[in-house]
Amino acid sequence: MFDWSFVARYAPFFVNGALITLYISVLGIALSIGVGFVCALVEIARIPVLRQIVRFYIELSRNTPLLIQLYFLYFGFPKLGIVWSSQTCAIVGLGFLGGSYMSEAFRGGLQTVPQSQYESAYVLGLSKWQTLRRLVLPQAFSLCVPALVANVIFLIKESSVVSAIALADVMYVTRDLIGMYYSTYESLFLLIVTYLVILLPISLFGLWLERRFDYERR
Amino acid sequence: MSGVELLMQPSVMPRLLSGLWVTVWIAAVSVAGSIPVGLVTGWLMTRRNVVVRFLMRLYLDFIRIMPQLALLFIAFYGFARLWNWNLDATGACVLVFILWGGAELGDLVRAALQSIPASQYDSAYVLGFNTWQTYTRLIIPLALRRMLPASVNLATRIVKTTSLAVLLGVVEVVKVGQQIIDVYRFRCPDGALWIYGAIFLMYFFICWPLSLLARHLERKWSHD
Amino acid sequence: MTEARNVSAAQTDAVAQTDAVQPALSVRHLTKTYPHADRPVLNDVSFDVPKGKVLVVLGPSGSGKSTLLRAIAGLEPIQSGTIALRGEVIDEGKPGRLTGRSKRASALRTRIGMVFQSYDLFPNKTVLGNITMAPTLVLKRKPAEAREEAMQLLERVHLADRANAWPHELSGGQRQRVAICRALIEHPEVLLLDEITAALDPEMVREVLDVVLELADNGQTMVLVTHEMRFAEAIADRVLLLEDGAIVDSSDDPEGFFTNPQSERAKQFLGSFEYKRHEATA
Repeated sequence: MFDWSFVARYAPFFVNGALITLYISVLGIALSIGVGFVCALVEIARIPVLRQIVRFYIELSRNTPLLIQLYFLYFGFPKLGIVWSSQTCAIVGLGFLGGSYMSEAFRGGLQTVPQSQYESAYVLGLSKWQTLRRLVLPQAFSLCVPALVANVIFLIKESSVVSAIALADVMYVTRDLIGMYYSTYESLFLLIVTYLVILLPISLFGLWLERRFDYERR
Repeated sequence: MSGVELLMQPSVMPRLLSGLWVTVWIAAVSVAGSIPVGLVTGWLMTRRNVVVRFLMRLYLDFIRIMPQLALLFIAFYGFARLWNWNLDATGACVLVFILWGGAELGDLVRAALQSIPASQYDSAYVLGFNTWQTYTRLIIPLALRRMLPASVNLATRIVKTTSLAVLLGVVEVVKVGQQIIDVYRFRCPDGALWIYGAIFLMYFFICWPLSLLARHLERKWSHD
Repeated sequence: MTEARNVSAAQTDAVAQTDAVQPALSVRHLTKTYPHADRPVLNDVSFDVPKGKVLVVLGPSGSGKSTLLRAIAGLEPIQSGTIALRGEVIDEGKPGRLTGRSKRASALRTRIGMVFQSYDLFPNKTVLGNITMAPTLVLKRKPAEAREEAMQLLERVHLADRANAWPHELSGGQRQRVAICRALIEHPEVLLLDEITAALDPEMVREVLDVVLELADNGQTMVLVTHEMRFAEAIADRVLLLEDGAIVDSSDDPEGFFTNPQSERAKQFLGSFEYKRHEATA
C-alpha cells in the first residue's frame, strides 16, 4: 500500500524543491529585515511624510494575501513595463509582505526598552550614540528575538504559495508527483517530512535563542 | 479597451463580486466553525491530564508548523483517498480552515484562561460567589476581553488565507478574475493589472477594518 | 621659591575659600510646569547644599519632591531659575521648553549622580559591567583601573562576591546597592537619591540605608527624598518641607525639626506618620 521505494526514488525531487523554498525564503527574509528595519526607524524617529508612507505600506502589506500580491506583481506589473522572473517576483513579494511584519517586530522591541534606561544612561553621562549602541539596541534586540523568529517561520511557510507563479518549490513538486503518478500518500508524506526538516530546527533554535537572549530570565 | 473600461463592463464587476461572495462565504463559515472547535480545544489544553495535553500540543504544533497550503493538499488529496471521501475543493478548504482556526483560537482561549490570576478565583470564593456566578460574571468576561483582539486578528488571517482556495480549483474571486482576464485577453491586454489590482483592494477593504477593530479593542482593553 | 610657594598657597586658600563660600549645589527660583498643566509643579524653589552636607526633602506625595531631584539631574526641563554646582551655573530656565531633557554635556552630567527608586540597572550588563560602563565610556578611564575601583566599591557595600552576577539574579536591596556603586564610581559632587528604599521589602531597607549613612559619614554631598522618617532624622543636616511645589518650611536643626516642629505645616506633616487609637473615654 505505502510504497517506500517511491519515497526513496523521489526524495531527491523534494530536496531540490526544498532548496528552491529555502533560496526564495532566505533572500525574501533578508529583504524583509532590511525593509522592516528602515520602516521601524522611520516610525520611531517620527520623520514626517515618510512616516505616513510607511504606515500606508504596512497596512497594505498586512491586510492582503501574499498570493494576490504575487499575482499582481507577476501578472500585473509587466503591463506597467516591469517584467521580472518568477524568482525575483517571489523574493520581492515575500519582502513586501515580510517587511511590515519585521518592522512591527523591531518597533515592538525598541518601544519596550523602558524610559528609565535612557534616564539612567543620561545621568551617568553616556552620549546618545553610546546609549543606543550599548544599551538600547542590545536590549531591543533581545526583546524582539521571539517575534523575529516567529516571522522567519511565518515567511518560510508563506513561501509555499510561490508554486502558483511556476516556481518548482516543495508544493510544486508534490502537486506534480500526485498528478503524474497518483502516489498521494507517498508524496504527502514527503511533503510533511520536508517541511518538518526545514522548520523544526528553526523553531527549536528560536526557543533556544529566546532563552539565551532573555536578560530577565537568563 | 483600457483597464478602467474593462472594470466598467456590465458583466465584469458583478461577476467579480459574486466570486468575492464565495470567498466571504468560505471565510465566514470557517470563522463560525472555528469558534466551537477553538473553545473545546482551549478548554482541553488547560486540563491537567497529561495524555490530553500531549495530544492537544501535537495537534496545535502540527497545524502551526505546516504551511496552510500543505494542509490544504493533505485534506484535498489525502483525506479523499484515505476515507474515500468525495471531498470537493470547497469542502477541503472549509475543513482545513476550521481545523487550523480552531487550533489557533484554542491556544488563545488557553492563554486567556491561564492569564486570569488565581486571586480572582479566590476573591470570588471569599465573596461567596458560586461556581456558575464566578464563571459567568467574572472569568468568562475577563477571558473574552483578553482574547478578543487577537481573535479578530485571527479572523483577518482566515480571510487572507481563503485566497489559497483558488489553488485547489475553487471558483472564488481570484478564479473568476482569471476567467475574466482570459476572456478579455485580446480586447484588453492590460486586464491582469486591473483585475488583480481590484481583487487586491477587495481583500484590503475586508481585512483592514478588521485590523482596525482589533487594534481598537486592544487599546481599549489594554489597561486591565 | 618662596614667592612661588606663597602664590600656590594663596591659590589653595582661594579654593578653600570658594568651597567654604560656594555651596556644592545651589538652586535659585526654580520653577517648572508640566505640559498641559495649569499650575507649576515646582514654584520658585531656592536652597543651598554645602559641601559634605546632606539635605533631606520631605513632603506629601505629589508635592514635587521627585520632580525636584529629576530637574537637578537634568531629566526635566525647567522654565525659570538656575541650578549651580560650586557657583557655576549648569542649567538656566527656558520659558518655552516644556519637554525633553536638559542639553547638558556628558562631563557635566557625571558631576551629579542619581539613584532611582526602581534601581534601573542595565539588564544586558553584569554587576561589574553596570558599574564600569560609565567610567570607561564617559570618563575614558582604563578598564582595568575602573574594574579595580568598582571592586573596591562593591567591597564597601558587601557585594564583591556578586561582581559577575546578572542584575535579575540579585535581590532588590542588592540591586539598589549596585546602583549606588554605579553612581559613586563617577565621584559625583552631589548624589541624588530618589526614594531608593520605597520599592524594597522591609527587611532589605536596612542594608541600603546603612550604605547611605556610611556615605554621609565620609562627607558625600547628598540630596535625598525618603519616607523613612527615622532615617531622615538620623542622616539630615538640613531639612526642606515641600508642599504643592513650594518650600513651606526648612530647618538646619533636623533634631529639633523632627522632635519639636515649629510650623503648623511641619506639625501636620509629621503628625501624619503617627498612629493613635481613638479610645472612648469613660
